[in-house]
This record gives sequence, structure tokens and C-alpha cells, in this order.
Amino acid sequence: MIDSPLLKRGRTCEACTGQFGAVKTMWRDGLRLALRLTLGLLGAGLLTAALLSLARPEIGHSLSLLDRLTSLLHGDFGVSRASGSATALELARRLPATLELIGLGAVVALLVGIPLGLLIGASRTLRAAVPLIQFAAATPLFCVGLALIWLATEGRWPLGAQGYLPLPPLAGSDLGAESLRALRAIALPVLTVGLAGAGAVETALSRVLAKALDEPYRRGLRRFGLSQWEIDLHYVVPEVAAGFAAQLGEIALALIAAAAVTEWVFQWPGVAALFVKAMALQDWPVAAVILFLFAAFKFVAEFAGALAARSLSLAVP
Amino acid sequence: MSASGTRSVGQSIRFANRTIGLAGLGIMAVLVGLAGAVAPAPPDAAGAAQSLVPPSRDLAFGSDALGRDVLSETLQGLSVTVGHATLAAAIVILVGALGGFFAARLPWHCGLVLRWMARILKSVPALLLGLVFIGISGRSFAALAAGLAIAPAAFARSYDRALTLATSRHAEFARATGVSWTTLARRDLIYELRNAFLAVAARALAAAAILLATVSFFGFGATPPHRDLGLMIGAAYATARATHDFHAWWTPLFPALALVLLIFFARLAAAAEQEP
Repeated sequence: MIDSPLLKRGRTCEACTGQFGAVKTMWRDGLRLALRLTLGLLGAGLLTAALLSLARPEIGHSLSLLDRLTSLLHGDFGVSRASGSATALELARRLPATLELIGLGAVVALLVGIPLGLLIGASRTLRAAVPLIQFAAATPLFCVGLALIWLATEGRWPLGAQGYLPLPPLAGSDLGAESLRALRAIALPVLTVGLAGAGAVETALSRVLAKALDEPYRRGLRRFGLSQWEIDLHYVVPEVAAGFAAQLGEIALALIAAAAVTEWVFQWPGVAALFVKAMALQDWPVAAVILFLFAAFKFVAEFAGALAARSLSLAVP
Repeated sequence: MSASGTRSVGQSIRFANRTIGLAGLGIMAVLVGLAGAVAPAPPDAAGAAQSLVPPSRDLAFGSDALGRDVLSETLQGLSVTVGHATLAAAIVILVGALGGFFAARLPWHCGLVLRWMARILKSVPALLLGLVFIGISGRSFAALAAGLAIAPAAFARSYDRALTLATSRHAEFARATGVSWTTLARRDLIYELRNAFLAVAARALAAAAILLATVSFFGFGATPPHRDLGLMIGAAYATARATHDFHAWWTPLFPALALVLLIFFARLAAAAEQEP
């Protein structure tokens, strides 16, 4: 190989230009994603304000849409029509139970969904047969929850639907027993959320993997002399990881939807169950703010996922 | 196995999926149509049998807590669910799929604003959005609310696909050669209807059936005596929870099986076009 100082300088310049280009692209993409996030949050705010405007004037919510949006931006979420307490306080009281459910459900979803997604995504035949073999996936989530409750009750499982027990703080005298009790109480709801999330993870991963495995560059790189292992490790894995990260918002949405059903079935005192109760009582201030919270959660997850996807794409040599 | 061999296996499985799905939906449609004639008892006939009799030769699906024949109730519930889900699916197709198709062709970037609105509505789970729409319109309009709640996702999908078509090379070429906007849109619409209508409709039916059953289970959907499958399952669960007696497994199981089969067949029919 010719290695003259001129060529060396040329390669260094190319590398610099490449790096500069990558940083520039990253900044531009970051700004675009931030704008998308802002627009999303603004839209969610408008939706919330529109719902709050539905609240009747006699209960003190006769503000215009713009006024309502301004007060939301100032952190004034209004007062619950049902309980009379501040909506923010209601949310703060119930949010930990929902976050526990979604967080642990996400762990189950990843543990179950990733191997399933890899298995299904790697086989074209299996992918085509998925709708046929996924009879379980056609089961509405509330039926899954009820089936688990029935099995736990009739089978006398130690994991009953015992109601909510908060996870204990990390320092305590009887930490082991308390943790075990809390985990037993949360096991079935987490399993229900996790199974729904696993479906979303599997779908996202298998699609991305199938697309990556069909890319023509894999054959091209083989002709250049790279081993299949090198190609998969350096090209396919980052591409699949990037594609999967880009679906983070949809997975977050699936987990939220699952939490809503699960909280109602298991009488879990979370935010999603509060939403259903709020709708039953026409408590618009509470319902509107919970909708905003969920939409914001989805948009932030989407933003983080898209950012991670861009970073991973840039990591491909 | 060769690539073409693998493809043909995949295509055969997809064809089998679609055939099974459509056949299943057809059988369900016949059952729904003949529910009045097939069902052994009229709908909501309390006291037709003893309370909570397990499945037997006389009562194939057993009886519920009020002595109603579960088979008759399940058929009746299936009719209500299928009727409401079909209406909701029609709204999804009209507002979502067709709306998205035409929005992508609107002038002055109006489509972009509509796509942004669809994105905002899509950021909330369809179930919660459906509850909001029911809260606004009332329980009698649950099917309409369900259709409107599912429509944003269909709108976004249809919009993106239509935009790809509208900005494709064949569209540019056609415009350059003087083909009018309406002719091009009509041609794309025919292709879309031919290639994707079945999948869109079946997917909408499955989503609507799930949503409507769930809202009825929550107590926001169908109202007695027009009980749908979700309300039947919810009532069975409420009775078991109130009496702490979960032995009457048949009261929620048969309505749940009917619901799962409906969704399963619809998904099979929809999945046919998902893998090109």
C-alpha cells in the first residue's frame, strides 16, 4: 500500500471532515428531535386545555383555551371535581404505584420480548406463521388479568390479587419479609403488564431484525472479505439496536395502555385507575392532566429513543 | 432452502392465514345473523334455568347467576359486539384511512397540521381516548367513540403511505405529463383499496372489538339489556368478586372465548398483507 505523507494528510482531512459532518448531523438531528418533542408537548397541552374547557363553568373552569394553557404552563393543574383536592396532589399520591407497575412490567417485557423477537425476526417462515401461532396475542388484556386472578385463586398460588402494597424503602428492620410481601402483591399485575409489553417489544424487534437481515449490504460486505460475524457485530447489531430504540415511544405507549387495564382489573391505586374513575365521575380536571402526563411520557420516551437511535446509527462504521 | 422456496412457504402460510381468518369471520357473521334462531333462549331471559348450573347436555354453556342460558347470552353478546365493532371499523376506515389518504394531498400543508393533530391524539392509548370520547358523547355512542379513538393511528399510517405515493417518481412523471391531480388520486385510491383495504378493515375490526369489550368491561360501553361480550365478562367477574366464589368458570369463559376468536380471525385476515 502506498503511504505517502500527502495521502496520510488526505486521510486525516477526510477523517476530520467525516467527524465534523457526523457532529453537525448529530446537532441538526438533535435540534429537529427537540422541536418535534416541543411540538408534541405543546399539542398535548392544547388537548389538555381543550378537555379542561369542557368542565362546567359553575365549578370554576370557565377559562378560555388560551388562559387554561397559560395556567397549565404555570403549573396550575386545577382542582379535582370529585375530591376537591388539588389535582397535582392526587397525582403525586398515585404516581409511584403506576411507575412501579410500568417499570417492573418493562423489565418482564424485555426479558420475554427480546428472545421472542430475535427468534421470530430471524426466520421468515416463522414470521409468516406468527398470526396463526399467536392465539394468545388475540386475547384482550383484561381477559389475561382475569385468567391470572382465577388461576391464582383456584390454584391457591402464593401470588394472589391481594391489593397494593408499596415496595419498602431500602433501609428497614424487616426488609426481606416486607419486600417478599410487596413482590407477591405486585407479581400478577406486573406479569400482566409485562406480557402486553412483551408483545410490543417482540413486534418492534422482529420487524427491525427482519429488515436488517434482508439488507443487500450484508452480501456486499461478504464479497469484500468480511466474515459474517464481523458484519453482524459491526453493522447489523447497531442497525437493529437503532431501529429498536426508535420504537421506544410505541413500547412506552403499550405499557401505559396495559397499566390502565391492569390497574382497573387488580384494583391497583395508580394514576391509570384514577383516570377511569375520573371519567366515570366526569372529573375533567383530573382526567385531562393524566392524559397530558401519559402523552408527555410517550413523547419523552420517543425523543430519548430517537436520540439513541441516531447515536447508534452514527456508530456504524 | 432457496430464497424463492422460503418465499413461497411464507406466501403459502400467509394465504392460509387469510383464508382461515376470512372463513372464521364468515362463520361468525352467519352465527350473528342467525343468533335469534340458533339461541335456545331469548336474550336476557332471567330464570330460564337454575342459577350457576355448570355446562351439561341440556345447557351446553351452563347458566349464570341470574339463571340465564350462557350460550344464548354469548350469541346475543357476540351480535352486539360484532355490530358495534363493525360500525367502529367503518368510522376508522372513513375518518382514519380515507381521511389520511386525502389529507396527504391537501394544499398549503393543511395535511401536515392534520398529521400533527393525529400524532397528538395517537400519543394517548386508544382505550383512554375512547373513554374521553364516551365521556363527552355518552355511552350510547360508544361505537362512534371507539372508531374515533382508533382513527388517529389509521390516519397516520394512511397519510404516510399516501404521501410516499404522492411524491413517488411515477406521480412526478404523471404530473409532468399533464395527468391531473384528481386522476392521479383516483388511481392511487383504487390501488390502495385493492391492496390494503382488507388488511385495514380487518385490523380496525380487531382493534374496535378489543376497545369496545374493554370499555364495556369497565362499565362505559353497552348497557343492559343489550349486553355485549365485555359487559358479560365484567358482570361474571363482579359476581365472583362479590361472592368470593370463583368456581363458576363457565360464566366468563365462553364470552371470553367468543371475543378472542373474533379478534383472532380478524387479526389473521389483517396479517395477510402485513408482510409483503
